[in-house]
Amino acid sequence: MAASETVICIGCPLGCRVVVSLDKKGNVTRIKGAQCKQGERYVLKELREPVRTLTTTVRTMDDAYPLLPVRTTRPVLKTLMADIMRETVGVRVKPPVRCGKVIIADVAGSGADLAATTDWKG
Amino acid sequence: MAERIDVAVIGAGPAGLAAAIAAREQGAERVVIIKRSERLGGLLPQCIHNGFGLLYFGEDMTGPEYERVFMRRAEKAGVEARLETMVLDLGEGREITAASSRHGYMRFRPGAVVLAMGCRERARGTLGIPGGRPSGVLTAGTCQRYVNIEGYIPGERFVILGSGDIGMIMARRLTLEGARVEAVVEIMPWPGGLIRNEVQCLHDFGIPLLLEHTVTFVHGEGRIAGVTVARVDAERRPVPGTERFVPCDCLLLSAGLIPENELSLKAGVELDPVTGGPVVDENRQTRVPGIFAGGNVVQVHDLVDWVSWEAEAAGRAAARFADKGKMPFAGKVRVSPGENVKYVVPQYISGKEDVTLHLRVTRPGRKAALRLGGKAWKRFRSVRPGEMIIEKVPVARLSQFISGGELRVDCGRGETGEEA
Amino acid sequence: MSYAETEVLIIGAGVLGAATARELSRYRVDVTLVEKNVDVGWGITKANVGVVNQGKDTLEFRPEYRRSHLLWRSLAMMEPLCAELDVPFRKVGGWEMCWDMKMKEKLDKLARRTESLGLGKDRFYWYPELKEMEPNVSPKILGGLHDPDIAVVNPVYLTQALVENACDNGVHLMLETEVLDMKAGHHWFEVATSRGDFRARYVVNAAGEWVDKIAAMVGADDFVLFPIKGYVGVLDRRCEGLVNGLVSVLPEEPGDMNIVVPTVEGNLLFGIQLQINRRGDHSTTEHMARKALENARRLVPDISRENVINAFCGFLMLRNYEIGWHECEVGMSGRVPRFINMTIGYPGVSASPGAAAEVVEVLRKDGLKLEPDPKFNPRRKGIPDFSRLSDKEKSELIRKDPRYGHVVCRCETVTEGEIVEAIRRGATTLDGVKHRVRAGMGRCQGGFCGPRVTRILARELGIPESEVTKKGGDSTHLSCRVKDILGKEEGDG
Repeated sequence: MAASETVICIGCPLGCRVVVSLDKKGNVTRIKGAQCKQGERYVLKELREPVRTLTTTVRTMDDAYPLLPVRTTRPVLKTLMADIMRETVGVRVKPPVRCGKVIIADVAGSGADLAATTDWKG
Repeated sequence: MAERIDVAVIGAGPAGLAAAIAAREQGAERVVIIKRSERLGGLLPQCIHNGFGLLYFGEDMTGPEYERVFMRRAEKAGVEARLETMVLDLGEGREITAASSRHGYMRFRPGAVVLAMGCRERARGTLGIPGGRPSGVLTAGTCQRYVNIEGYIPGERFVILGSGDIGMIMARRLTLEGARVEAVVEIMPWPGGLIRNEVQCLHDFGIPLLLEHTVTFVHGEGRIAGVTVARVDAERRPVPGTERFVPCDCLLLSAGLIPENELSLKAGVELDPVTGGPVVDENRQTRVPGIFAGGNVVQVHDLVDWVSWEAEAAGRAAARFADKGKMPFAGKVRVSPGENVKYVVPQYISGKEDVTLHLRVTRPGRKAALRLGGKAWKRFRSVRPGEMIIEKVPVARLSQFISGGELRVDCGRGETGEEA
Repeated sequence: MSYAETEVLIIGAGVLGAATARELSRYRVDVTLVEKNVDVGWGITKANVGVVNQGKDTLEFRPEYRRSHLLWRSLAMMEPLCAELDVPFRKVGGWEMCWDMKMKEKLDKLARRTESLGLGKDRFYWYPELKEMEPNVSPKILGGLHDPDIAVVNPVYLTQALVENACDNGVHLMLETEVLDMKAGHHWFEVATSRGDFRARYVVNAAGEWVDKIAAMVGADDFVLFPIKGYVGVLDRRCEGLVNGLVSVLPEEPGDMNIVVPTVEGNLLFGIQLQINRRGDHSTTEHMARKALENARRLVPDISRENVINAFCGFLMLRNYEIGWHECEVGMSGRVPRFINMTIGYPGVSASPGAAAEVVEVLRKDGLKLEPDPKFNPRRKGIPDFSRLSDKEKSELIRKDPRYGHVVCRCETVTEGEIVEAIRRGATTLDGVKHRVRAGMGRCQGGFCGPRVTRILARELGIPESEVTKKGGDSTHLSCRVKDILGKEEGDG
């Protein structure tokens, strides 16, 4: 069975709705709707391996500063976002924290670390 | 605080920090940021998402990371800060009246002032949503502060009115934290924020975006019990018979930002009724000599990078003003919005300098042509009100577009207009 | 079963109940004031536009109505009362305007009556003269009758001040105390409340929106009331000065009330769009909002949609709505001894001092021993209003207490010092703070200061932030801590 997928390109305000046709093996047979090559490249990547930078917070032990903002050190597979969020639930951090400090290494097996995005002297 | 201050910057968010740093780099000796709260920095700490700095630093940063860099630069540049200090009045001759729990009550007259107060969100009252007055109705930005700073989630089941960027970003944030977002309701036929946010905040999580819909009633007296959502017609009026009840325990409002200009009005600064911000020239000087403005206080930007750049221009000019004691308003040429252009900033230019035009279109469209003085300048495959257009025009080419003291800017269909 | 006993039980801490409590606190008599809400003045009182010293204007204040006498009696009382209690009072003057000659005849009649009653001489101004005083009213206005005595107060401030002063003088206040049932005995009323049972010799029923329901508990409902919902819009402070005094136009049809009035704080209010409504439902409707704005724009064309920062609805409990809402009910029930009903209908705030004095007389006549309390202190000091102080006063206040230098609400310039003081005086909720010191009352409607006021409330009251409510009851505002929903799912799954 051949199939097609629609991906909205986020490269520019145009927001092209790009339709990608796939054959049985999942190989791309046709791309329609993109207005530029860059957009096509984005769409192919988004289709094969959609990744996102996940940003969230972890709790601290300090009521006056209850949350520390964190991010994945690089984009992670979209499908891993829920797992990463679950891993943040039990975390309680203590100061001092420097921006970039790894809070959870290889979070949810994503290959990326969850790292602080700010300094917290405490 | 009787001593001489060259440049006083009101507000310490991205605009205030950038303006102050630029003023120091331009040579102003004493640059003081006046800031309400106990620390420098504005709303960026609560904007924990990424997407900042792509243009300015060529790096995908989060809000706290972006701010951290500017804080360090401000410190290094020798910018001073008056913290926990609220400016109460800005009067004749740039006289600032301020109150502070640390420094007491004070009046002083700096060499120049940069307004960098940012913007505020439209509240429920100004949106005029009928219904009860329960708890659980708040703006997306207030919710962002609760969720990302204070550590509380103000509900478990949300409806978001308005598809501004903060609203969409909060839809994702709340979903990630386990809350349910029933829908994002947008009265216009197009989303209010960036495409990137529509895809990554709504589509990624299967959150419905109801275009041409609005909230027509808020139910509940104690805690909100739900809202009535209805489709709207071309005049944006609810269509009878399309109403449906959506249960929720929290309604977030993300229906527009308004430049925060109460102080500007006190100072007699003329405001542009469309932007809601001061009328400025290419130096970001307002109509009141020595009062400059930059960032969201002038116009609501999509990207913080542009806030920083605009405020830097204001900061540099303020330093020059403080040094010379004067700077004429560059009011020779009026920049006027034409076809499908909602506004252009700056509103006035000298015509003698390179200029960067910031503009927004009124309606979205494909194949649009930006025309300056009736002559084609650039073609766009697509334009959207939610995405600001920024065009740098070198002085060498500027004169051919100006006629009769006016620079007309159109952004209509691409077919018309002769090539420049 | 054990009862708390009180000589006089006042039900409802609105402006009427509060004024009566304060009036009774002059004497050595045991008074308990119960209020269903978490704070005082949150019923009908809160939705009142705050116009006082009424009695000569539009409505049918004919001498044969008791209500007229209460208003006239109150005329001389309100200003001194506000002075004693340090409640802002602004004599702004009021206009009753007309569009045509036919309406002018009514105004002429009104002026003659005012004069014949010895209430003063109100002057009629034709538009060109009127314009000098109110330059922004529509030039289509023919003219208007000017009543220089009209003043504005904040009805909630007045109520809070009355209650504070009453409590200082020995009245017991019980909040969140709802009267559930009542029995009339020979000597006592037995009153069941959500906070325990009472025995009271006298009951003063000032329950506002629910006054007839309370009266019905003992069969003292010898009147019929119609709940009339009224819509009021609030304009941004930027509009200050658009009108200088109360501007109203004679109704062209019954119920067609059209006024624009400044508040003591400098906002303008407009309305009042009226409709019969199921009580308890305080929701605004699109129809009311649109009609009220249309009316206001007819009267003052510069009012615009963009400047409407808020709106609210409240109730007027009117008698004989169909024939013109003329009468009040203030006095001993004709059916139940020692049971006093108090309901004015409109305008309750204006009539409150007179009505309270009347109730005290009724009690005395009935045999309640009212011995003056030599310790009675009529004075109460208000919360300092930082934004309105002089430079010198501001300076001194900050030096004395640096919290007055910390501005928490930027729209209304409200300091932490004021908020802490509001909490000390009984605010326990966000709305409690808002209605004492205006934090959150301005154009951003608490978007900026909400989280900060929540923190201060939690700190001062010694409760977690999640227990801070908007207005008591189930109006919680922060449901759970970040990560708790995810954690719960984890536990479930």
